[in-house]
Amino acid sequence: MTTDLSSDFVVIGSGICGSLVARELAMRGASVLILEAGPRLDRGRLVAAFRNSPRRSDWMSPYPAVAWAPHPIYQPEDNGYLVQAGPYPYPAEYIRAVGGTTWHWAAQAWRLVPNDMRIRSLYDVGVDWPMTYEELDPWYQRAEEIIGVAGAENTGSPRQKPFPMTPVAEPWSMRRFRERLAPEYAVVDNTVARNSRPYDGRPACCGNNSCQPICPINAQYTGGVAADAAEAAGAKLLPNTVVYHIEHDATGHIAAVHYFDPDKTSHRVTGKQFILAANGIESPKLLLLSASDKYPAGLANSSGMVGRNLMDHPSTSLTFYAEEELWLGRGPQSPSSINTLRDGAFRREHAPYRLDFTNINQVFAVTQSLIAEGVYGAEFEKQLRWRAARQCNVKNVLEVLPNPDNRIALSAQKDAMGIPKPEAHYSIGDYTRKGAEDSKPHFARIAELMGGTGLRYSAEGNFANNQHITGTLGMGSDPANSVADSYGRTHDHENLFICGTGLMPTSATMNSTLTAIALALRTADHLLPANASKSAEHAA
Amino acid sequence: MHEFVDAMDAATSGCSRRDLLRGVALGWISSFLPAAFAATAAEDTGGFNALSALLTGRKIDDPTRSRRLFDALVADKASFMSDVAALLDMIRTRNIPVAQLQTALDSEKSPFAALPRAVVSAWYLGIVGSGKTARCLDFEMAMNAQVVGDVLKPPTYCYGGYGSWAVKPI
Amino acid sequence: MNASLRIGCLLCLLTASAAVRADTTADQVKRGEYLALASDCVACHTAPGGKPFAGGLAMATPIGAIISTNITPSKTHGIGNYSQQQFADALRRGIRVDGAHLYPAMPYTSYALMDDADIAALYAYFMHAVAAVDTSPAQTSLPFPFDIRASMAVWNLLYLDARPFIPDAGKSAQWNRGAYLVRGPAHCGDCHTPRNLLMAEDSSAELAGAQLGSWFAPNITSDANSGIGGWSDQDIVDYLRTGRAAGKAQAAGPMTEAIDRSLQFLRDADLKAMATYLRSVPARRDAGDDAPSYARGQAGDQLASNRGVPLPDDAQRMSGAQLYDAYCATCHQASGEGSFDARMPSLFHNTASGRARHDNLVMVILDGIHRGAEGRDVVMPGFGKELSDTQIAVLAAHVYQMYGNPHATISAEDVRQLRAGGPESHLVLLARLGFAGAIVLVILFVLWWRRRRRRRVR
Repeated sequence: MTTDLSSDFVVIGSGICGSLVARELAMRGASVLILEAGPRLDRGRLVAAFRNSPRRSDWMSPYPAVAWAPHPIYQPEDNGYLVQAGPYPYPAEYIRAVGGTTWHWAAQAWRLVPNDMRIRSLYDVGVDWPMTYEELDPWYQRAEEIIGVAGAENTGSPRQKPFPMTPVAEPWSMRRFRERLAPEYAVVDNTVARNSRPYDGRPACCGNNSCQPICPINAQYTGGVAADAAEAAGAKLLPNTVVYHIEHDATGHIAAVHYFDPDKTSHRVTGKQFILAANGIESPKLLLLSASDKYPAGLANSSGMVGRNLMDHPSTSLTFYAEEELWLGRGPQSPSSINTLRDGAFRREHAPYRLDFTNINQVFAVTQSLIAEGVYGAEFEKQLRWRAARQCNVKNVLEVLPNPDNRIALSAQKDAMGIPKPEAHYSIGDYTRKGAEDSKPHFARIAELMGGTGLRYSAEGNFANNQHITGTLGMGSDPANSVADSYGRTHDHENLFICGTGLMPTSATMNSTLTAIALALRTADHLLPANASKSAEHAA
Repeated sequence: MHEFVDAMDAATSGCSRRDLLRGVALGWISSFLPAAFAATAAEDTGGFNALSALLTGRKIDDPTRSRRLFDALVADKASFMSDVAALLDMIRTRNIPVAQLQTALDSEKSPFAALPRAVVSAWYLGIVGSGKTARCLDFEMAMNAQVVGDVLKPPTYCYGGYGSWAVKPI
Repeated sequence: MNASLRIGCLLCLLTASAAVRADTTADQVKRGEYLALASDCVACHTAPGGKPFAGGLAMATPIGAIISTNITPSKTHGIGNYSQQQFADALRRGIRVDGAHLYPAMPYTSYALMDDADIAALYAYFMHAVAAVDTSPAQTSLPFPFDIRASMAVWNLLYLDARPFIPDAGKSAQWNRGAYLVRGPAHCGDCHTPRNLLMAEDSSAELAGAQLGSWFAPNITSDANSGIGGWSDQDIVDYLRTGRAAGKAQAAGPMTEAIDRSLQFLRDADLKAMATYLRSVPARRDAGDDAPSYARGQAGDQLASNRGVPLPDDAQRMSGAQLYDAYCATCHQASGEGSFDARMPSLFHNTASGRARHDNLVMVILDGIHRGAEGRDVVMPGFGKELSDTQIAVLAAHVYQMYGNPHATISAEDVRQLRAGGPESHLVLLARLGFAGAIVLVILFVLWWRRRRRRRVR
């Protein structure tokens, strides 16, 4: 096959991490090519598609899978792309398109707390990270400034400089939680990549309450914004290019990648440095797919850890009716949390967690319930108002420990391009289950403080998936049990780097995106320091 | 069938071209038929409108919307019109109040048990059908949005200027 | 900098400056600062991101870019060596200290109305309270024949009335104050009054509306349909101070800058005076305006036939209703009614859709509305990158049809032209032709005269 293209840096995946790395490198004068498996998206069309959808709580409804770059779809039917090997399902949702999965997220942009990175040393569980919080702090700050993070003080993560923006205005519903739960529980504003004032040419939030699946006005930072920014900085972005093979030379140095276009014509792209940023499932899949005679277990896999230690932040929850009218649905979807259960000596025994209060509009859910109950006419209208005003929910966001048996592997089934599908092996361990048990009295107490009635706990043993795909390309200082070093450089291939949540060796309790971005920016600086000239060689 | 209203039809605000043509055609045809057989556009939706009014407790006075939901319900289940007639008959004959209707149908395992749910889903949610054949016909104008419209906007519609959600709703 | 910080700075400068004369009082400097705000000097004399009053803003005109000068009191690069008379000459007669003429992009024809006391106050402000900046911006260089500044002398003879404002004894003090502000420092006519071929204001059509590149400064005469005749005094004051007249209009484009940098700082009494004057400007009715431009349209939607219909794969084939749904309805709401709190305005009863000229509606869709310091507050995002000329034309037509003026028309070519900077001007070509024509005439005349002389001699 012919070699079509060549670039200093080849980035695989245009999600928020891939695009922001590409942007950094392009701003410093390097030639950067981003290969994205999926198509370009248009924000307005996504809004209209969601409004036109009959599945109001299906946040993937504006993002259908395309034949050449499928992603998991579960409604109205499971498309079988992410094969579930069990014992526990891992029904992650992600988007293969320009901008990636953060087109639909609640924009929670927390840092870890320092102890999150030392749970082995402190609590004898999990592993330690190959860096400290203090080392990552400057890149956390830079990430927050690029994407525009609004946050409150005293959320447990130390910082050197203020947040770029003050917290987003607190919805009335959350204020009532905060006031009624005090002083027993401290309800804090979430740290979010959402504008509390115009920032970076994007407007302030106007309360569309549709953060998931789409912020209609880009008040929330998304991978779509990042991809635009990467292109504006001079990166070249090719959509609909499905990378299926990473090619190495005799020494293990990465020489090229191969991709299919939608007609399944193969193309070869050469480069000096390669950055794999295709998310925590697609990236390990690609490494495993690229197995060769020299690397029969797949690339970057001398440790055997590629795809392993799959983690997420599972949730259980309590839904109830507050005694006063809160009217969830005014303002952003995820405004507030209780943050004080994230760390402590108890981490020896059970998972820590964040308690998250939703502000998602309840009208659709309540209408469905009332119809199911056969309530019609004037009574329906009365009940709809009563319940939509009061129904609320609290959920936990639990840590999962790394377990090598939990993993992404290659399935025997193939997709329309003949590429093996990813297969999820997963289970929820006792550590996490005990954390869920620990949270139950808190749920009950919170409902009590809100004068709650009609308490409905999520089904016993049922954990909801939060799409925080971590661990599968875990970093570490020991090549025997990790895939990459703290800069994301794979131990086995000096010019192959990893960016994304898969790098995180433990999951902690906070949504992973900001940490992944901070790590990616640190990788970019390592690849090409900011004061390097256009023709300078990359840093060793 | 999905009716795609192209830009040229925008002038007939709200009315689809097919509605107009149907109305004109039927009107012309009915001028030839004896009065007893005259089929007007209103009659095939008549039963549906009556059942809808009964179940929702609201006046059904939006012919464009009625027609659209009716067409979708018929497309979803071919026997829709006759089912509606039969259910209306049952309700009138047995004098079942709306508040007890669904319970009665469910407990009797009536063949019409799904019908009230289908009708109210169309009006309250703007959704007809389920699973792969589910269709959206209304969202922001669906009745459930109207019921809470003094306090909430449907998702994807802005609540107001920044910070407007901080105050007590009502 | 906000007003109080400015005042703080200038007080420090005053106390530090031993050279301040006894009669350059703090009051006079403060008065000068207010007049400088009313005259909006900073808007033209500051480059984007540049130091205040240091010049460097390139203003696009039909005859080329005119670059503003450094008017800080720098002795090497600004007006630090100007006497008060020289300052007054620049402001009122458009003459620089070296005798060269200024182009009327500097609105000296309006500033000429300012009285001596106001000129003196401005001078005091610029000399004592503005930080000197010792850099020069690029020089203006217009195409021939407009680079001959001396030709401005002729233009001024024709069009400059350099007399200060003479109050009308038959009108109230409030009216006179308003007339002074509107015609003088606030120089509203410089944008809102149409200009003739030689780019002088047509005084018989005061404030009747004029093209400014892609934007159109609208008719703000007292006409009830085409202008502000149907607005209340409070509407006018609200608009000038905040850029919104509830249920009628909102500022966009160049007007947002006028409000953010100038008009919002004016005293209530002055805004009221301006309103009083504006209501008296002779009414000019634009053809076809059979209803007030702020009162057209009503709530409405086409969702009963559109909701649930999949979008066409080819985005260029989206209907007006589909485009509205995808890009506009989020803020302006499904029926065009705007948000609960009116912070996102209604699209009906809105001059943006109610006027027959499509320039500003298209420009708002392209550029959005940006307010505040250096236009960083995104009040409405622009859609110029996301939407094509065809899509914007279809969308604008939908907005007119549903919510605005049924007589307005718009084509993709109109949008293309506005995106490119507005209707093309042939002024340079015409001027060159005119100049060439004049030379030919002179040559012909000389030849004829010589032949006549020769004939006579024979």
